[in-house]
Amino acid sequence: MSRSKNHVPGEVGIWIFILGDMVIFGLFFLVYVYYRGLDIELYRQSQLQLNQHYGALNTLLLLASSWFVVMGVEKARQGLGQKAAPFFASALACGLGFSAVKVVEYGEKLAADITITSNDFFMYYYIFTGLHFLHVVIGMGVLTFMILKTRAKHFQSNDMIMVESGASFWHLVDLLWIVLFPLLYLMP
Amino acid sequence: MNIRSQLLCAWCGVVFLVLFTIGWVLLARFLPPPSPSLGAEEVAAIYQQNTGAIRFGLMLAMIAGGLTAPWVAVIANQMRRIEGNSPVLTYTMLVAGAVGVVILVLPTMTWTVAAFRPERAPELILLLNDFGWLLFVMTFSPFFVQNMAIGLAIFSDFASEPVFPRWLGYFNIWVAILFVPGGLITFFKTGPFAWDGILAFWLPLVIFFAWFLVMFVVLLQTIRRQANGI
Repeated sequence: MSRSKNHVPGEVGIWIFILGDMVIFGLFFLVYVYYRGLDIELYRQSQLQLNQHYGALNTLLLLASSWFVVMGVEKARQGLGQKAAPFFASALACGLGFSAVKVVEYGEKLAADITITSNDFFMYYYIFTGLHFLHVVIGMGVLTFMILKTRAKHFQSNDMIMVESGASFWHLVDLLWIVLFPLLYLMP
Repeated sequence: MNIRSQLLCAWCGVVFLVLFTIGWVLLARFLPPPSPSLGAEEVAAIYQQNTGAIRFGLMLAMIAGGLTAPWVAVIANQMRRIEGNSPVLTYTMLVAGAVGVVILVLPTMTWTVAAFRPERAPELILLLNDFGWLLFVMTFSPFFVQNMAIGLAIFSDFASEPVFPRWLGYFNIWVAILFVPGGLITFFKTGPFAWDGILAFWLPLVIFFAWFLVMFVVLLQTIRRQANGI
């Protein structure tokens, strides 16, 4: 497959979706930072109740998953669909790990009677991480699709566009978390 | 190919936008929404002071709501061209779209009941006002399903000359996801996720209007291509 320096990965439409999604999350984050500034003590106090280890572990899991996806796309570009599939499967495993940590984390918060209505900080915490988690779930579906595509006998350059689109979406999932993690868990 | 009827149906979408804006925004003055944190007396005062304009504005908004039926039908008709023999996504879109018509019409009637006897106990006005707003803002699920069905149908179009451009599929799925925060208003009386909040109300509302305009422009192009036999 020929590729120029100006190659846009995946189909153009996926970038409309990705940029649109980033604009929306960008707006979410601006709203959060604005309201945080109005009542900074409450946000600081509440933030201390989050378990940073869970957040950090999930960051590592998603960064690793993105690396696996990059390696998988490299293999697929060389036409080695069979070798790409295990990388995508590893990324999927990271996604499952992320989900497990998230479930444990939500469980602990709910057990401690911290809910979406506890205060403004936890409202944002549940909604932002919940919407991001929705992206993770969709992303794991996409990864599964990519595994099936690359494992198929007739992997062709046409399928490559699909693989690149899926990979771009998974990087978006990672990117959003990279912003979300410091915003909710670390911001002083 | 009843091109004329299709164009008529597509224009209904635009007429809906204009008529709904005149009735609901300019006459009833429901934009910006009354805060969900207002007390019964304050909410009752809104209906008591602006009674005539609210009644007439909501009547226009109710009429506008019905015009989304032909609008949904013309989208379904074009989706059917993609799906051919077993148009399940088209049916999904049609059913969800029909429910959408109800969701646009029913709140106007709920608020109309409040404006019908504005002198009744303020607590009852508050109840009807709550009911109308929750019905109007929170019910994202039919619209979500409708837009997802359009998006997935466009993705399934592998013809050399696709009915809709593929980016429209991504656009519809993006719009579908943007409706989701509306579902959170049950938890809040203030802030960005209340029924007058920027993320649960303003953002989905603006996107909802923009969706009509984008779909309208693309529909006109699609119908024109169909008329030219492509």
